Amino acid sequence: MIADMNFVGLTTLVKREMVRSLKVINQVIWPPIITTVLYVVVIGFSLGGKIAKIQGVSYAEFLIPGLIMLQVIAATYDECSSSVFQGRFLNAIQEVLIAPISPFEFVAGFIFGSVVRAFLIAVLIGIVGVLTVHAVPQNWLLAIFTIFEVSLLFSSLGIIFGLMAEKFDHIAILTTFVITPLTFVGGVFTPATLLPVPLRTLELFNPMFYTIDAFRRSYTGESFLPLWLSLGAIGFLALLGLAIAWRMVAIGYKLRT
Amino acid sequence: MSIAALEISHLVKRYGDLVAVDDVTLRVEPGDFFGFLGPNGAGKTTTINAVVSLVKKTSGSISVFGHDVDHDWRAARALVGLAPQEYNFDRYLSLRDILIYQAGYFGLPPKAVRARADALIERFGLTSKINDEYMKLSGGMKRRLTLARALIHEPKLLILDEPTAGVDVELRLELWDFVRELNAAGTTIILTTHYLEEAEALCKNIAIIREGKIVASAPTKSLLNHEAEATLVIVVDEPLRALPDHPALLGAFHTPGDATICLEGINPSQITSVLGALDGAGLRVSELEFKRSSLQDVFLELTRR
Repeated sequence: MIADMNFVGLTTLVKREMVRSLKVINQVIWPPIITTVLYVVVIGFSLGGKIAKIQGVSYAEFLIPGLIMLQVIAATYDECSSSVFQGRFLNAIQEVLIAPISPFEFVAGFIFGSVVRAFLIAVLIGIVGVLTVHAVPQNWLLAIFTIFEVSLLFSSLGIIFGLMAEKFDHIAILTTFVITPLTFVGGVFTPATLLPVPLRTLELFNPMFYTIDAFRRSYTGESFLPLWLSLGAIGFLALLGLAIAWRMVAIGYKLRT
Repeated sequence: MSIAALEISHLVKRYGDLVAVDDVTLRVEPGDFFGFLGPNGAGKTTTINAVVSLVKKTSGSISVFGHDVDHDWRAARALVGLAPQEYNFDRYLSLRDILIYQAGYFGLPPKAVRARADALIERFGLTSKINDEYMKLSGGMKRRLTLARALIHEPKLLILDEPTAGVDVELRLELWDFVRELNAAGTTIILTTHYLEEAEALCKNIAIIREGKIVASAPTKSLLNHEAEATLVIVVDEPLRALPDHPALLGAFHTPGDATICLEGINPSQITSVLGALDGAGLRVSELEFKRSSLQDVFLELTRR
């Protein structure tokens, strides 16, 4: 099977996604960086000075991993959903559909393009963290693995919604009503230990909480949930998302009439 | 029987209750220049899109040079180049990259195709725009780019869906010359067009589709000779009160007192007997015009039935 793969086709798709990101750099790369700097300066420094240490670090330092996760989630979902939808809307995706590219290569191409964007943003925000509050991951392997796993999950969701959407507005439904609220209450700005007990229980049903909790551990060495649980849950959801995205592409859902 | 460049067998495509393609069977030989004609909505583009897998078949089979588009889809797709009617370029890429990336999707690395991409861009007069995005091109330039992109991976079967729609006469003739060259070099070409003179000038074989069904499929010459016959107009040197009584002139149209005789629906082999009948009646022919059917006549006759 691997010998039959169209690796050139796959890498071309990845490159194409990277080119697309760089062509709209002012829309997709700089805004998360600028937003993060503002969060750190306005919330982290001004408000954070009045907050005691959390998980053994300053509030501003505590914010950095949460903000990286926030932007990685938004970027990977946005990359795949808008690229797939735009390709469908303008029919440019037909260039790929008529080529000898399998559904697996199709999904992998969009997802790896999105993963590259996620790592680029994570590195840039990480640099902001180093320069502003000297925040550095204590466990690089965990940091990289979590970003990768979370990227897989939200890229596959991006493909699914990019295929289902009938207009650009539909793509925003998940971002506006699910991803953003759940991310904000998922521990970007506040540790779960500060939440009242009933809300803390509710957090266990919030997938964003698992992603942020696992990633923050790579910085602080502490987490609310056991690592196997958070990484396992994200991994399970990512595999489920990938399987659904692959199946939709394989049957040509809204791609082939 | 040799392997066909394209073999479509009992293709059916339904959209709910609508039958867009109804049991279409076609065979295109290697090296052919094949015209696929039909009125708007007849099923041409649906059939073509089924060949390139943009349309999911309801039933039937399609193979390209012996490779089934379902079971051996990688090999089948690698052999086909499609120049679609609607522009569907990648808006984020330059002209050169549009070709290089398209080749990449077909498994050809940039190094292997860069020179070919530049040569195609030059061949189509687009070199001055090579680093521009396609949105900066004129309509005619976009048409040329569509063709260049379809050719970048050197397909053995080239499908042109309305390749000259909306282009001026000069470019149309230029594109005709180019596709003729390609066909002479061995590329099998399937052409759909609304310009029937285009199909008449270029295609060796033609199929006509109407309401999803093939209503004619034959060599262009035989379609012209048999499907709709010619009109013969004869002017004799003096007005006639009545036509001579001769079997060859049965059905001829003539106004009493007029010198013009008109015979519709005859073929060239009947001309001699008509002239013989007039000669036998002592009439001298001063003018003769044999108007052969155009593909347009054939097309209208077949698609209006």
